[in-house]
Amino acid sequence: MSQSLRPYLSCVRSTLTAALSLSNFASQASERHNVPEIEARTSPELILNPLTVSRNQEERVLIEPSVNSVRVSIRIKQADEIENILVHKFTRFLTQRAEPFFILRRKPIDGYDISFLITNFHTEEMLKHKLVDFIIQFMEDVDKEISEMKLFLNARARFVAESFLTPFD
Amino acid sequence: MLLLDYQNVLIESLLKDRFAPEATPTAIDQIVSDFDNVTFHISTPESKTRILISTSIKCYRELVQYGAEDVLQREYGPYIVAPEQGYDFSVQVDLENLPESQEEKDELVRKISLLKRNAMAAPFEQAFDEYAALHEEASKYTSESAPQGVREGGGVRAIHYRDEEAIYIKASHDRVTVIFSTVFREETDRVYGKVFLQEFVDARRRAIQNAPQVLFRHDPPLELEGQPNLKAGKGDVGYITFVLFPRHLTPARREEVISHIQTFRDYFHYHIKASKAYIHSRMRRRTADFLQVLRRARPEAEEGTKERKTASGRTFKVGG
Repeated sequence: MSQSLRPYLSCVRSTLTAALSLSNFASQASERHNVPEIEARTSPELILNPLTVSRNQEERVLIEPSVNSVRVSIRIKQADEIENILVHKFTRFLTQRAEPFFILRRKPIDGYDISFLITNFHTEEMLKHKLVDFIIQFMEDVDKEISEMKLFLNARARFVAESFLTPFD
Repeated sequence: MLLLDYQNVLIESLLKDRFAPEATPTAIDQIVSDFDNVTFHISTPESKTRILISTSIKCYRELVQYGAEDVLQREYGPYIVAPEQGYDFSVQVDLENLPESQEEKDELVRKISLLKRNAMAAPFEQAFDEYAALHEEASKYTSESAPQGVREGGGVRAIHYRDEEAIYIKASHDRVTVIFSTVFREETDRVYGKVFLQEFVDARRRAIQNAPQVLFRHDPPLELEGQPNLKAGKGDVGYITFVLFPRHLTPARREEVISHIQTFRDYFHYHIKASKAYIHSRMRRRTADFLQVLRRARPEAEEGTKERKTASGRTFKVGG
């Protein structure tokens, strides 16, 4: 793990742990509704202060807490065109499979690559610290995976090019 | 299967079966596809022993212009028959009149399965011959005093072998330039293609010093000035230039070089698609891993209502 990744991840971890103190809260605006307030935004007093944790210009996490839900949005590092395509493909792949992921939001919010929406029902059903673990591990693995795929692509391209040109030699 | 074969495998195996000494003649009527929208039709229209192989190539008329008929005449001489309706070129093999030895039979099978390659080879052969002539001519002059025609090289031979893609071949006194234009259907292909082409360009510097020089650009190269229907500037078109040096153009090597360079476009796109498929499967696996991690967040409470099986095979529920 690189030197700047550790404090970044530990900061996200503690912020998330703090933000994930959710309680069941029925909608004040419409009767018999119980919706994630961070998405519905029916009353301003239920929304807490959003917080951005940035590692650098490219990588950051936006955590938006509210009384009964937290929205976590991640921007994944994209140094060049290839990483951009790979990140786009990978996040699209994940969001298309959002159903089994429970906390995955189907559409990332603007300026980020992937968003999670955790409601009080999720924290009641699942272990909170494990949820945090999941998000941290996700952030770690995504970076690793993207750079591995990029390396693979380059290695393969090199191999393919050399094998095509060898018969000319 | 890293490199693509030059011959059509289906035709090869079909004819090999038929040519085997113990094979009984049967009726065939089969359409075989090859790369670059080339279609073959193998049939036995008159009798079961006479196999007719016809091919239709999109750019056949252009190929004829560049001397395809001579090349095909040379390769298939006695087997050529009048082209079948709807096809450009036909050969017929009579099973009762096959060459005697096994080697000759294999040679015939090989030749016929290389039909597409041989038809497409015509402009290359012409350009290589032109190079030889120009080379001869140029050796009489010093580089300054050479007349215009010799210094500039010959005209550009264009083969529009696919709807939007073409090969251009130009001979000069010291090299033959082969330019492929290629279209990337989508953004991902374009980006992957760029990575691949960069490696093609670099390979010469790194490992294979004797390989042809490869250049890549999005605008049409200057050699193609004046060619009709050139698309330029946009990101989805690319021009890949191979510069074949005299060492590739020796009579001993030219057959191999022509065969090999023809497969470039298909080879290149095939490997882009293969990488995409691999990366896709990799993402699938990684997604499954993430799901596993998330599943760990669920407490084990539900384990209680698991179905259990007795030794006799009956099931029952525990707990819950």
